[in-house]
Amino acid sequence: MKQPFASPRSTATPDGDEQAALSDAMRRIAAGDQRAFAEVFQRTSPKLFGLCLRIMPTRQEAEDAMQEAYLTIWRRAGSFDAARGSAMAWLVTVARNCAIDRLRAAKPVANEPIDLAATVPDAAPLASDRLLDRERRQRLSDCLDELAPQDVRLIRTAFVEGSTYSELATRTTTPLGTVKSRIRRALIRLRDCL
Amino acid sequence: MSAADLPPDADLLAAELAFGLAEGDDRSAAETRLARDPAFAAAHDRWLAHAVSLAGGGEEAPSPAVWDGIRARLAANDAEPSAPPDAVLKRWRWATLAATLAAAILAAVAVERTARPPRIVQVQRPVRPPLVAVLTGTDARAVLAVSFDRTSGRLTAVPRGLATGDRVAELWVIPEGGKPQAVGVIPTDQPSWRLVPHGLRPDVSSTALLAVSLEPVGGSPTGQPTGPVILSGKGALAS
Repeated sequence: MKQPFASPRSTATPDGDEQAALSDAMRRIAAGDQRAFAEVFQRTSPKLFGLCLRIMPTRQEAEDAMQEAYLTIWRRAGSFDAARGSAMAWLVTVARNCAIDRLRAAKPVANEPIDLAATVPDAAPLASDRLLDRERRQRLSDCLDELAPQDVRLIRTAFVEGSTYSELATRTTTPLGTVKSRIRRALIRLRDCL
Repeated sequence: MSAADLPPDADLLAAELAFGLAEGDDRSAAETRLARDPAFAAAHDRWLAHAVSLAGGGEEAPSPAVWDGIRARLAANDAEPSAPPDAVLKRWRWATLAATLAAAILAAVAVERTARPPRIVQVQRPVRPPLVAVLTGTDARAVLAVSFDRTSGRLTAVPRGLATGDRVAELWVIPEGGKPQAVGVIPTDQPSWRLVPHGLRPDVSSTALLAVSLEPVGGSPTGQPTGPVILSGKGALAS
């Protein structure tokens, strides 16, 4: 199984080389190297912006979140630990955290009800980027099709709105235990499919 | 240990952490495990990639204004402004050269002093490393290298690319938590040196900020900066 965010230690694959380069750039950013920072921005901003656009309500807010994310990356590059996962995962996490914080400061997301009965199955294919990812995305798309649309919606909501199990329970007015088991079952099915 | 060796429960926890579902003690446990367990970290990476795909964003370049905004705010975040990426390396190289030059000037002066036989018996003071600083601003071409000898109180300034128009450049030292103190007007077309007044010498330290502002000819009339700050930087003891 391909690892999209490969550990920097596995340099055997093109992904591995890319991750090793990114990890090295993070070290240089931590040392104050602005050129390395510019390189990281060039390489990673399209993916991170794509994510911010899915989290924030408007393009302007997505751009604002991006600025804050990269300034955070600049300031906190020293706390990236290559043993803790890939650089890309760290960058995605910083960007997501910035965006979710801004989203939740602007909107009372925690209390917005989710009407699961009104869920429309998502017919759009997952957005694709590079050739390497296309096969993986197709596989993910096929596996998501095997899940109930409501479960996909819950999982997506958790990721793009920052709703934990408790919050999903509140927003769907279902017991916490119920929400946990249904999402866990869905994640297990997803894992077994992939 | 590869991700395939991870117990299913742990893999599920990695998924929950990646998607942002985990909370409370489960979340703390997951974060801790992320730091200690490479297989868990690999699983988390993989799930995070799925989450990003699931979010459906794809890739899109942000407008150039985003990078411009980041660049502009890098200065506030680090007292070091940014230039277009390809020019950064050149500027850093020159700035290093300028700082080296400043230190070399200072070292040459120090050698000259000790070579002359003293007329008055002096207590031999240990040689203290100079404080050096490279002051930069939003104009990538303008740099000021400063070197301060804490023993003699001599401050050397090496400017490059400073354009002041019909105004002059004045150097200030801003102690941590304090008000700017004038060091004096500095020529912009050649290196210069001066003796920092005794009372000000303790302030020229590695915790202070050094800055250059544009002032009317003769320097600030008020004792505080009246014009824009065009360069700034923090000093460090040369090793």
